Amino acid sequence: MIQFFHVYKAYPGDPPVLSDINLNVEKGEFVFLTGPSGAGKTTLLKLIFCAEKATKGQILVGGRNIARIRESAVPYLRRNIGVVFQDFKLLPHRTVEDNVSFTLDVLGVPRAEAREKVRRMLKLVGLEHKAGSFPLRLSGGEQQRVVIARALVNDPTILLADEPTGNLDPALTVEIMDLLTQVNVRGTTVMVATHDATLLSRYQKRTVRLERGQIVSDEDGVKAARRMVV
Amino acid sequence: MSALSKVTYFCRSAAVGLKHSPFVHFIAVTTIAIALFSAGMARGAARVLDNLLASLGGEVEVTVYLAPELDADEVHGVRARVLALSGGEVTLVSPDAALSRLRTELGDLGEALAELPENPLPVSLELRVPPERRNPDALLALAKALRAAPGVAGVDYGEAAVQRLSAIARALRFGSLVAFAVVLGATVVIVAATLQLAIYSRRGEIEIQKLVGATDRFVKAPFLLEGLLQGVLGAAVALFGLWAFGRVLGPTLGTLFAFLLGPGVAAPWVEPRLALELLCAGCGLGLGGSFVAVGRFLRV
Repeated sequence: MIQFFHVYKAYPGDPPVLSDINLNVEKGEFVFLTGPSGAGKTTLLKLIFCAEKATKGQILVGGRNIARIRESAVPYLRRNIGVVFQDFKLLPHRTVEDNVSFTLDVLGVPRAEAREKVRRMLKLVGLEHKAGSFPLRLSGGEQQRVVIARALVNDPTILLADEPTGNLDPALTVEIMDLLTQVNVRGTTVMVATHDATLLSRYQKRTVRLERGQIVSDEDGVKAARRMVV
Repeated sequence: MSALSKVTYFCRSAAVGLKHSPFVHFIAVTTIAIALFSAGMARGAARVLDNLLASLGGEVEVTVYLAPELDADEVHGVRARVLALSGGEVTLVSPDAALSRLRTELGDLGEALAELPENPLPVSLELRVPPERRNPDALLALAKALRAAPGVAGVDYGEAAVQRLSAIARALRFGSLVAFAVVLGATVVIVAATLQLAIYSRRGEIEIQKLVGATDRFVKAPFLLEGLLQGVLGAAVALFGLWAFGRVLGPTLGTLFAFLLGPGVAAPWVEPRLALELLCAGCGLGLGGSFVAVGRFLRV
């Protein structure tokens, strides 16, 4: 589903952010991307949804080489990728329902159909009763669930989450991670960038560790969890 | 995926945009309205100027002096030719009638004319040109044609005065055209700058739109629609202003300057054609401004 072949990313005048990244994520897989701050986790995710362009190398997403993608084709690629950010990126003056249906507005989904999809998605994330609320009236966990609902409402094949629990307390963290696991079980490929070691040991998923822009380990969940304990 | 849903979304989004930054849009609408009001006033002033020129053209006396050697039949022949060329009314003035008129005009000094050994004045034709030829260019062309006609010794119609007036009118028209172009350019810049503020205030929304797969065209459409709405509103305000100006000051101007400018000054200031032109110009200004603003913003 996602393949990196000798991918480099550098900004002029700075040392490379990513160096010689080789990675293969299968369809329906759940992958943690971990490492210290500045290791290149966010940049790697950004390369997948074309917010950044690789300096060198090839990246295949769903069999398509996005290193050579035309600017005009990027929006169509993004429609298959849901993105969740640490800072939510919700529109404060729009209701929860409007925030979630924003994605469907872009796709030109008719109002009635969109409303039905939004209702189903809010039910999935447990926020059906908050459809008319404004984001700032919600807790951090609830806001993050709205973001996940927005990312999933058009049934993307890939979900990318950049530190989705970074601003949340432990109880809300579990809530959000359970939701992401549930989404993965339904068939969506999920990549989560985090530096929270407790998540890795608790959920025991494939873990790719980045340090100074390079992949230093790529282990299955059990192995990674064991290492966390040690 | 329905086009109707997208159009509905664009309209909704444009309405939200107008509601979201009312002050910014107020400035843009006011700027467009002022520019279009000025254009409407300039058009009205041009019409008044045309009336003035036409009325002056009507007052210009075109006198055709005939060659002294012509006999009565030849004079009638020339008169018929002049009539055909001018398309107006032709009055034959005999040398005696001309002398008598001159004597009357000179008053006491006219007595001196009695001392002349013979009447020096030639037979002449006085022309009253039709209204459509009462403008400097048409008069010049007519005078040229008359001078070339056989039996005509000279043509006089106050050429220098009419040409000077015509030059002034041309300069005024050119000046107002240049001023109008400058005003239009400045309006596009102001509208673009104000819209850029509105777009900037919604950058979060644009960022999310792009993240969830909106094309550039999709992002731009509501802002272009906002620009279009601003243009329509600006044109409506300008038309209302012109209409009010015509209603309030038109009759006063008509009374004060009718002797100079003719009855045209009291004519309605907003006519259907002008309304359509200003509406189109408003839409163009709004769209142009928003196009520049959106293009600049999305490049960043």
